[in-house]
Amino acid sequence: MAAISVRAVSHSFGLPGKQNRIAALKNVSFDVAPGEFVTILGPSGCGKSTLLNMVGGLLSPSEGAVQVDGTPVLQPLPERIAYVFQESTLFPWYTVEENFAILLRCRDVPRSEWRTRTLAALTSVGMQDFAGHYPKQLSVGMRQRINLARGIASDTDILLMDEPFAALDEQSRMVLGEDLSALLGRTGKTILFVTHSLAEAVFLSDRILVLSARPGRVKATVAVNEPHPRPPDFMLTSDFSELRNQCYALLRDEIRLAMAEAVA
Amino acid sequence: MSGPAAGTIAELAPARRRVAAGWLHGSAALRWGTLITIAVLWEVAARWSGNNGLVAPPTAILRALVTQILPDGQIRAALIVAVVEITAAYAIAVAGGFLIGVAVGWTRLGRNSLFPIVLFFYAIPQVAFLPLFVLGFGIGPAAKIAFGCSHGIFPVIVNTIAGMRNINPQYVSAARCMGISRAGIVRHVIFPHITGSFFAGLRLSMTMTMLGVILAELYVSTAGIGYFTRQFADTFDPAPLFALISVLTAIAIAMNAMVRLAERHWLRWKG
Repeated sequence: MAAISVRAVSHSFGLPGKQNRIAALKNVSFDVAPGEFVTILGPSGCGKSTLLNMVGGLLSPSEGAVQVDGTPVLQPLPERIAYVFQESTLFPWYTVEENFAILLRCRDVPRSEWRTRTLAALTSVGMQDFAGHYPKQLSVGMRQRINLARGIASDTDILLMDEPFAALDEQSRMVLGEDLSALLGRTGKTILFVTHSLAEAVFLSDRILVLSARPGRVKATVAVNEPHPRPPDFMLTSDFSELRNQCYALLRDEIRLAMAEAVA
Repeated sequence: MSGPAAGTIAELAPARRRVAAGWLHGSAALRWGTLITIAVLWEVAARWSGNNGLVAPPTAILRALVTQILPDGQIRAALIVAVVEITAAYAIAVAGGFLIGVAVGWTRLGRNSLFPIVLFFYAIPQVAFLPLFVLGFGIGPAAKIAFGCSHGIFPVIVNTIAGMRNINPQYVSAARCMGISRAGIVRHVIFPHITGSFFAGLRLSMTMTMLGVILAELYVSTAGIGYFTRQFADTFDPAPLFALISVLTAIAIAMNAMVRLAERHWLRWKG
């Protein structure tokens, strides 16, 4: 059975019949197998985040259905799905450790394990020395690393990631991408990932769904047959460039369409 | 002549201005100096004008405080009653105001439909309804608590709602995805977010609550501090009146200091 199953999902924002009603997604269907890393790639405003919010149970589709492990998603399912947002959603009023404590309490982890679990999660992203810091005292990159670690510490089978590296510079992005690939090789989580970045998509995914300009449809699916964890050298191979170019060729027209619409 | 008073601001070199500003900010002596200067001027002015029955000099107030107000068991009891009333009214105002504020501020619908009504009630001079409070709650402490609360609750509601307006929706989404309950969202997301605005409301609420309680005390002045206030005023005896007011002021300052301590604890993450 598919871990995530999206069936004929369409979505529009705004009231029906109103001029400002916008069709964001149109008849999107796909499955994600357990342990698979699937990336949604598409131009700005094509409904990538909308799609992710639906899988996360934050939004109900206007039409169609989303299922996780065979059960329909009607609200967030914290037991099964963790969500990593584009910007760090560490609460700024709590220290890093307190932020983890809130999550671990919700996960019914006994209090005596909080500290070890927190430190283990922080160590996995190299942030173990910052448990006592407030998010404000850390750089954007450090915050996002911790945010990622918190998502993984949720210990759910499914991880949704909405452009988790978008706020980072390219170098941190590369390093975090490598970290993520290594982490995933170990944990075997099912991941649905949203990004703008072609390189990120090819480097991380088992499968890439290329969406069209708004309203988003699945235009094509690109498979990346390379086992995890992927070494940084994967980026230097001709396979990598070819896949990247293939994605770009699929996207190019859609990007222009999206830009033209944004201007109009 | 030297010192900051020697020239106008424009004539002072920037560096010296900075030194002067540092001295002003850093100096507790200046604050006390100002207070003492005002007290001395007040003393002189009050004595100069003779005992006119309206303003007492500070020394007379102090004497009244020590010889008349504090030793009087009835006045002490009245003060304790007033403090209890203020505390009760304040507790209800803060808890109720926060809950109403969160309920109204939770959705845009609530903010758009109910917030104007809250503001409308806030704008009404409530003293016009004081007789109704007395009719409804009797002449005992209940009416004073209710009236104090009806004054104190509005700043809390208004500031809670105002604070909720720009909550980052992603924090709420993240909380929901982590499985944090509704109460947990209030506790971990909304409350920390609105603390700045909320505590500003709390300080205003303290003043308003005291105002409400004392107004009610004055209106129903068969006993309590209202009775003594009226008695001192009617007999043109301002010194004990001022002394009584000073005690109330001290209580208000102490209560505000407690609010400030709580505020500092909650806002420590802002550094």
